[in-house]
Amino acid sequence: MGSINSIRKLIRLWALCGGFILIGIILMTAYSATLNLLLNAPVAGDFEIVEMGVAIAVFCFLPFCQLERANVSVDIFTMKAGPKTVALMSILASTIAVIFASLLLWRMSLGMADYREYEEYTAILSIPIWMAFPPILFSLFLLILASLITTAESFQTLSRLKVDGKLKKPELT
Amino acid sequence: MDSSFIIGLAGIAVLIILIAIRVPIAYSMLVVGIGGVTILSGPAVILSQLKDLAYAQFSIYDLSVVPMFVLMGSLATFAGLSRDIFQAANAWLGRFRGGVAMSTVIACAGFGSVCGSSLATASTMGKVALPELKRLKYSPALATGTVAAGGTLGILIPPSIVLVIYAIIVEANIATMFMAALVPGLLAVMLFVLTISIYVLIVPDAGPPAEKTGFTETKKATLAVFPVLCIFGIVIGGIYIGAFNPTPAAAIGAFLIGLYGAIRKKISWNNFIEALLETAKTSGMIYLILIGAETLKIFMSRGRVPMEAAELMISSGLSPYMIMVLLLVALIILGCFMDSLSMIILAIPFFWPVISELNFGMPEDSVKIWFGIISLIVVELGLITPPVGLNVFVIKSLSDDVPISETFKGVMPFFLMELVRVALIILFPAIVLALPKFLSG
Repeated sequence: MGSINSIRKLIRLWALCGGFILIGIILMTAYSATLNLLLNAPVAGDFEIVEMGVAIAVFCFLPFCQLERANVSVDIFTMKAGPKTVALMSILASTIAVIFASLLLWRMSLGMADYREYEEYTAILSIPIWMAFPPILFSLFLLILASLITTAESFQTLSRLKVDGKLKKPELT
Repeated sequence: MDSSFIIGLAGIAVLIILIAIRVPIAYSMLVVGIGGVTILSGPAVILSQLKDLAYAQFSIYDLSVVPMFVLMGSLATFAGLSRDIFQAANAWLGRFRGGVAMSTVIACAGFGSVCGSSLATASTMGKVALPELKRLKYSPALATGTVAAGGTLGILIPPSIVLVIYAIIVEANIATMFMAALVPGLLAVMLFVLTISIYVLIVPDAGPPAEKTGFTETKKATLAVFPVLCIFGIVIGGIYIGAFNPTPAAAIGAFLIGLYGAIRKKISWNNFIEALLETAKTSGMIYLILIGAETLKIFMSRGRVPMEAAELMISSGLSPYMIMVLLLVALIILGCFMDSLSMIILAIPFFWPVISELNFGMPEDSVKIWFGIISLIVVELGLITPPVGLNVFVIKSLSDDVPISETFKGVMPFFLMELVRVALIILFPAIVLALPKFLSG
């Protein structure tokens, strides 16, 4: 259990890293826009840093988003479903997340290989695009872990319900 | 009708089922999008797209305003913006009959515009305004109805995240959309204030006046919101006069709100960390839906679904306005079940191709802006539509002693007023189009 808690902490910390990247981009962009307004001389290639930085930051957010179950879903049609059904639906949703995260990790690592092979650079600052990928791939790896954790949580809920099932009537949630 | 179109339609059915059984909207779209393209064209196509699709989507420059505005919104929330606006408006209006409800509307609009989520606005403003309305013995219907309906107002008022997403989907200019949204947004505030004055004219006991606020108190409350108003002026005004693009404007806004909160000691280090984590959750959620929408788009355009649907609609012999009203009704109904952002991302890729083919006697670019504003209003309307309006349920959770039927009763006048607003904008597109035209010369 201890290791799962440290993974949770890592995921939260990783999201905060993304948050600080976002702050860095905000400060740089605000500075550049002010320079542009006053001296007509923005930071060269500022938009390239924005594009790459925001992409990295948002990938950092995804595992935390999954862990906190912040992805919006519609529960209005299943409001009267029993807790068992809800747990089963939650297992389905988390399993889909595991599969998607693994698929994307696999494909995007190939994507990074492509960018390295064809040596694509951003137009002004000549930053190699593949450099954005290592943190992104790590984010996807954490997304797999986060989805596994949410899957396990739902299985736990389900098994708890099976134990108490005979005692308790399904309650409306 | 060929087989790929039928597979496309089947895909939509599966999508609806997945969403209905609580699979997050983003993942439902991904499953159907990736699965659908695989069925239509084999796995190779989508597998090669997935190498770069997510990065390409996440690094769209215009989208970067989204996490920045989200952060600005959470920082503003922690800085106590909702209470500040409410108190300032109250200092001026509270003394009149129905005045505290009017202040609630104004605070909802102001806070909602930064907050970007109707449900969060209703819940935040509910906590701020409901106790005060209750203390003054406002009728429960008017009190809860005002907050539920008021919560929907801010979404349209710039800086609006949903509007940014709409602009990106239909390839409209974000700055132009922001200009177009201002007048309809302020119109709604005026109409809601008008609704309350009519309400208390008919039922005077529903909104008793509050005690007068003294001059020094009024001055203090007004000065408290002044810096934030200035920050808004810089962000929105800067976009309007073309001083900066939306992304730098969002960056400056987030920076200034953070600075203000830190100087006034309203945002502690813990608040700041909380705001970052909130931003992570909200932005992650939005971006994941966007990749889902992208895979769904690849599937749907391979199945030619939007095009076929558009042709079907256009050859149906209905007038352009009839078709538009039909689509809007569909949006209201769907809006009852989903939050507005997911709705816009899901529905606009299907609806826009239909609308863009119709002749409304104005250029396509104008139709794009006009339809965007109307659909955003209508999607929000779903949130207060009986019997499922999500905003009403948020209010219910805040005020257990008021039966939900009372809140729906209180919401009804506002609901009707919203229909008036939609009708006005459909009849007089200038309400939307005049300001962009004026500002862009």
